[in-house]
Amino acid sequence: MSDNIKTVKNATCTFCGCVCDDMELTVDLDAKRITKAKNACVLGRAWFAEHTIQDGPAAMIDGKEVTLEEAIEEAAQVLTSAKFPITYGLSDTTCEAQRQAVAITDFIRGSIDTTTSVCHGPSGLAFQGVGESTMTLGEVKNRADFIMYWGGNPAESHPRHFTRYTVTPKGMFTPNGKKDRTVVLVDVRKTPSTPVADIFLQVKPGKDFELAWAMRALVKGHKVDSSIENETGVSLEVLEDLVQRMKNCNYGVLFMGMGLTMTRGRHFNSGAIMALAADLNEFTHFVAKPVRGHGNVTGADNVVSWQTGYPFGVNFSKGYPRFNPGEFTTVDTLSRCDADAALIIASDPAANFPQAAINHLGSIPVVSFDTKETATSKLAHVAFRTSTYGINTGGTVYRMDDVPITLRPAFESPFPSDEDILTPLRKRVQEIVIGKSKAKGAGAGVTRAASPVK
Amino acid sequence: MSINLTLHTSPEVPLEAEVLCTDKLIGLTGSEIEKLPVEHGNRQVSVADFFTVKGSPDDSISIEGDLSKVKHLGAAMASGKLTISGNVGSHLGAGMTGGKILVEGDAGDWVAPEMQGGSVEIKGNAGHLVGSAYRGSPIGMSGGEILVHGDAKNEAGHAMRNGIIVIGGKSGDFAGVNMLAGSIFLLGETGIRIGAGMKRGTLVTMSKTSMLPTFSYSCRYQPAYLRMYLIYLQELGFSVSDEQLFGFYHRWCGDAIEMNRGEILAHDF
Ligand code: SF4
Repeated sequence: MSDNIKTVKNATCTFCGCVCDDMELTVDLDAKRITKAKNACVLGRAWFAEHTIQDGPAAMIDGKEVTLEEAIEEAAQVLTSAKFPITYGLSDTTCEAQRQAVAITDFIRGSIDTTTSVCHGPSGLAFQGVGESTMTLGEVKNRADFIMYWGGNPAESHPRHFTRYTVTPKGMFTPNGKKDRTVVLVDVRKTPSTPVADIFLQVKPGKDFELAWAMRALVKGHKVDSSIENETGVSLEVLEDLVQRMKNCNYGVLFMGMGLTMTRGRHFNSGAIMALAADLNEFTHFVAKPVRGHGNVTGADNVVSWQTGYPFGVNFSKGYPRFNPGEFTTVDTLSRCDADAALIIASDPAANFPQAAINHLGSIPVVSFDTKETATSKLAHVAFRTSTYGINTGGTVYRMDDVPITLRPAFESPFPSDEDILTPLRKRVQEIVIGKSKAKGAGAGVTRAASPVK
Repeated sequence: MSINLTLHTSPEVPLEAEVLCTDKLIGLTGSEIEKLPVEHGNRQVSVADFFTVKGSPDDSISIEGDLSKVKHLGAAMASGKLTISGNVGSHLGAGMTGGKILVEGDAGDWVAPEMQGGSVEIKGNAGHLVGSAYRGSPIGMSGGEILVHGDAKNEAGHAMRNGIIVIGGKSGDFAGVNMLAGSIFLLGETGIRIGAGMKRGTLVTMSKTSMLPTFSYSCRYQPAYLRMYLIYLQELGFSVSDEQLFGFYHRWCGDAIEMNRGEILAHDF
């Protein structure tokens, strides 16, 4: 280890949606790596420890190194000549970069979608249908005495969720920590999270909706047949007892995991949980919240929402935003072979999308932004290598409870940030679009101001 | 003589063509129709770029070709007849108030969302959300009839307020979800969770299906009005057996979480 060491206090881990902002990083500036991450969980420690700068060109066209300017020009040409361009990803970058991406999509009249559409998008749909009774995690820590996780395994996916906010911390109205709380877990199998729970309900796979629906009926005072046990695997007595506890608590929270949104029923499953929370507000204070995965996926929802009015699956082809998940969401636009160019930022759809979508992605020009080589960057026509947010780049990210948090980077990267490239790309796109519309003459309608950008 | 449009170039990306609708073409000549704008992705082009137009307008249009990338055909239609010989894309007949649309092939998602009147008949299969509400909107189809002879995917009749939907083949999950009123006939195999959150309205199913815990059993009977409905469906070309016509039905009421005024009639085999 060299002597060139610095410590960064109150740094932020952007690995999962908890976005813990109490990291103390020890950085070896010569080796350009983080040697210690105090306060981080196993996932966080791995995230910081594994971060090294990979050598490679900052910009490539068809696998050949080019200058940033050439790559930006090519990307701008590809995107502005497309008839149905799509922008996708955005969950692992800063809000500042996301904002530029929305502006670009607006100018090129494309569709913008984030990884929300393949994780908690259904919950986003459910918000619209049912409404959201919400909170911040600080409130949960200080007030909640009934916590229920449904379809998630935070011990492995969000290791510090229990210890920072929901189970063990001592809060203003929960001075004895875990003793003051009832923790319930609903899942299809036992997981490492199960031991934390005071009550564990093992629901039959694919029966979450039925279980939530039966609970709603009980909350509303309707009779439920004892055959519910056969149907869902949870007995009526257990459910009745649980519903009593929920009604009698002072502040209840329902956390939704991807076990709900990615199984049969999707938005109706999360909708049922949100409706359950709404029903319980007849008796006590109850809130529901999705446990978001990727670092800044919540920021992506927020930025896309405040710039377009909708959280994901937004299309600008008519010049104004239209929202229609299923039509403008990326898996669908790719699988139906609708898209004719793609701008993929900080995401690897070529590795995790359905095969039909990957095949189409391989057949159209792709502009990719990645911190390392990925399946997507390999098939990209224009590939940018960027620095990692939170480690090399500052900016803003949103925690899963919609609280914005400022990043404190640890050391510099030789690569530019996503925002550093997206901003000139947005400017170039803007020039081309305005030039084209002027050439067409007044009234072409494309000179309309896009989202406010610096 | 009616107007005939033939697709001569397949669109590379979705083509939005809400102008191709009887009411909007009445009184126009063939060359005027050719100049009408349609949207090819984010580009405005004209009808002639994709279609050959023949005939002179009256109140019927026929369109030929594989239109599976063509969206919003017959949107807001109020009268006349639109015949599509081939497959068609999404949002067919969105918000229509009258007239008749006939599709010889398959239709995409959102067949006649929020329609208020008229009739849509699909000889093949339909996608998700037949006669539904758009996302964020509380009321789906509020009148008219949608007849799908083939299969339909999830959420048929989502938040429907009035009218009738018939699915001749298999139907997906959540048929009649959040239904406010109206009638849905599911003649083939059904998906799960039918009628979830329904307030009023009638769902008729001819296959064995599991009921949500919030539906309560009322009785087994022979609803007289149902027979009249089923005879009407037979006349429309749906296959309805004598057992279904003269048989018994189990009546379930629900959804108790909502007003509990809806009913599911399940054929007793
Ligand atoms: S809980 Fe999540 S944000 Fe916090 S340290 Fe662990 S991985 Fe990082």
